[in-house]
This record gives sequence, C-alpha cells and structure tokens, in this order.
Amino acid sequence: MMLRWRWWFLGALFFAVVIAAIYLPILRRNIKQAAKLQQRSEEQARRELTQPTVINPSDPKVKAKLFWASGADDGTVSAVVVDLPLANDPVLRSKQVLNTLLAGPVDMELRTLPPDAALLAFYLLPDGTAIADFSEALATSIPSGIESEQMAVDSIAKTLESNVPQVRRLKILIHGQEVETLAGHLDLSQTFLVNANAAVGPRASNLEAPASTTEAQQLTPVAAPVKLAASPDKPASKP
Amino acid sequence: MQTSDTLTRPGLNVVVLDPAHGGTDLGARGTGGIHESDIVLEFAAQVRTALEAQGFQVVQTRQGNANPSFDDRSAMANAQRGAIFVTLHIASTGTPGTARVYVMNDLPSGADATGLIPWDRAQAPFVSLSRKLADQVQVLLAQRFKGSPATAQTSSVRQLRTTAAPAIAVEISSVTVEDRGQLDHMAPGVADAIARGAAAFRPTYVVPANPGERP
Repeated sequence: MMLRWRWWFLGALFFAVVIAAIYLPILRRNIKQAAKLQQRSEEQARRELTQPTVINPSDPKVKAKLFWASGADDGTVSAVVVDLPLANDPVLRSKQVLNTLLAGPVDMELRTLPPDAALLAFYLLPDGTAIADFSEALATSIPSGIESEQMAVDSIAKTLESNVPQVRRLKILIHGQEVETLAGHLDLSQTFLVNANAAVGPRASNLEAPASTTEAQQLTPVAAPVKLAASPDKPASKP
Repeated sequence: MQTSDTLTRPGLNVVVLDPAHGGTDLGARGTGGIHESDIVLEFAAQVRTALEAQGFQVVQTRQGNANPSFDDRSAMANAQRGAIFVTLHIASTGTPGTARVYVMNDLPSGADATGLIPWDRAQAPFVSLSRKLADQVQVLLAQRFKGSPATAQTSSVRQLRTTAAPAIAVEISSVTVEDRGQLDHMAPGVADAIARGAAAFRPTYVVPANPGERP
C-alpha cells in the first residue's frame, strides 16, 4: 500500500516537473516581452514629450543668431548666424531656435547646454515673460560652476533676444518645477531680463499658452516669497 | 586674536568667509576625484590666515563637512554690522590657473519706509559697493594669475542675492586639472589677493552711523 502511494507521488512529481519545464520558459519570455513593451511605451512617451518642434521648410528663411561659447575661454558667448526657416508665431519660433541651440554648434567644444537636455515646454505670457521648461538633464549634466551656468543662461537668453522680439523676460523651469539654482550656483528663482524693449502686445501668443493668465502665473510667481532682512545699518537675523 | 587697532577701528572689521557647498553637495567634480567642497575648505583656511594678518576678524560659514543652506550662510553675514562676504568656488570650466570674481547683477531695491529690505533682494543696496570690492580683488588676481580677467563680472549667483553686505564670489579654474597640486599652488595667491583687496576696500566702506541710512 505504502509502495503504491509512493509511485503515485513520484509520478505526480515527474508530471509537475515536465509541465514546469515546458511552461517556465514561456512565462519568462512573456515577462521579458511585457517589460520591453513597458520600457518602449515610456521611451515613446518621453520622445513624444521632448520631440523637437519640426522646422517647416515652407516658413521664410531668416538669418537666426544662435549663441554658443565664444571659444575664448573667458566665459562669454558669441553669435553664430544660421539660415533657418522660422515660424512667425513667437512660441513656435522660440521652440525652433531653442531646439537648434540644444542641438549644438558644429564644434561641440563650444556647447553651452548638455547634449542630453531637452526643451519640454515653452510658454509666452501676455506680459512678455517666457517660461522655458527644460528636462532634468539641463541641471544634472551641465558642468557645475558660476561661469558654466551663466554661459548656459546667457546662450538661451541672448538667442531668444535676437530671434524673438516678443520676449521680455525669461523664467527657466526644470522638469516643470521652479528650482533654486541651475547646478548649485546660478539663481533660477527669479526671471532673467531678455529685452527691456520687447514688443509686448495685448496677447503675445495664444499658442500652447496655459488656459488662463492666473494658471500661468501659478507656474511662475512674480516674486519669491518675501522674507525681510535688516537694512545695512542694523544687524539682521534670519526670519 | 584681535589687536587693539581692530577693536577700536570703526567700520569694516569682519569678513564672512564662505567655503561653498559641503555635506552631500560636493559641488564641481573633476575626473581625478577632486571635489569643489573639499578644496574650498582648504582655500578658506589660507584666506582666513591672510585676512587675519590684515587685521580682520573672520567668521566662517562652515568649518567642516557641513552644508548650511544659502539663507543660513547669508544670515551669518546679515547678523554682522559692517562686514563683507566672500564666497569661494572652484569651477568646472575655464582656463586652469585663472580666477574670476563675480558680483550680483543689479537688483530692484525693495526697501520700505521702515528701512527693512526684502530678504530675497538683500544685496540690492550693496551692489555698487560689491562691485568696488570685486574690482579691487580681481585686479590683484589678474596680476598674479595670467589669463584672469582684469575686471569683475556680474552673475546671478544665488548665494549673493540674500546677503546684506558687500559680497563677492571668487571662482578658481578648475577641478579639471590633472594634478590637484596645481590648485593647491594657487591658494596662497588667492588668499593674498582677497586679503589685500579687502584691506584696500576698507577705507571706502563707511558703515552708516544712524539706523535707517543706506550704505
């Protein structure tokens, strides 16, 4: 009786091993495929999000000025004139010039922005404040330092100033967030003056701008929360 | 140790020295394992000695591997009467062996009738004084380190914005040097330039005698 029960048990065990041997590779393949699919969809989403604005060849070609490092190793940027078909709409035009700027100059040594950085979104508020939202790589891949961070902002601001006359100020966001510094040095909590004489109209652009001004202002508060420091003549304590 | 001269002299006596970064924030990193946060601390020790030799009292924002916030560092300067603020940095870029001094861009002043100025624009009334100090130090750095600019530059350095005192950032190039000794070799020259620049600036900085007066 005991011997028969043992044969039954061994038979069942053998059957289970055979089933497992057939099923496990299939299961492993399915898991790998599922992971690949998920990875692909994430990549696709990111690519769609950061996809450079297509330059339309039918747009009028203009001599765009793009600012990269001057090469003098003195922390300055200088203009390179490039023939680009640019849209008339200021938001689209800004995206086109910034994506070309991000693509980099012919001489990669003159880059001011990391090669893996991408422009995620660009808005232009009615008062001429441009909001440029860059991927995290702008902050994490840029060489840390006052000079390098200042050059990055200078190249963005001067490129906008030269090609998009509607931009008065620039606010830089990283991955949709307001950050204190670019990479530990340069202050990103404030806006940068791009062009004090910008041609600001009643509504600079309605393309891809947030639904309302109020919504836009939430993205970029006009001023950081105010704390008070004492005047120079009396000692101050941190609030 | 203070001399009787420093105790009695009115005006600028204190230098708040800020070795940037620290703690988990290593700052700029070189391929040879050089970290900005370590080097600036060593530079600060030499700058401190040179400043004390000029009769200044030195307050350091960090002594070891701590990382006070930007506001905490500024608060150390803002709590002093008649101090200047010097923040030390090592760049990732620039010609190795050069040094640059930065001052804050012009800021809109937000002072009200009470004489209080907004914390986030604390540097506004001091920008022109900061520029004077920066130029004094930059000239001395340019004499010692060839290839350095002759005049100070402006930049929106976060640390400077909330500092209610003449404030400068000194940035040395760079962490990309193959031999760390190249940077160590610069420390005495940088220290001397900062100390002599601060001493030359001292007579031009008149600390307001009465509350409510602007610098």
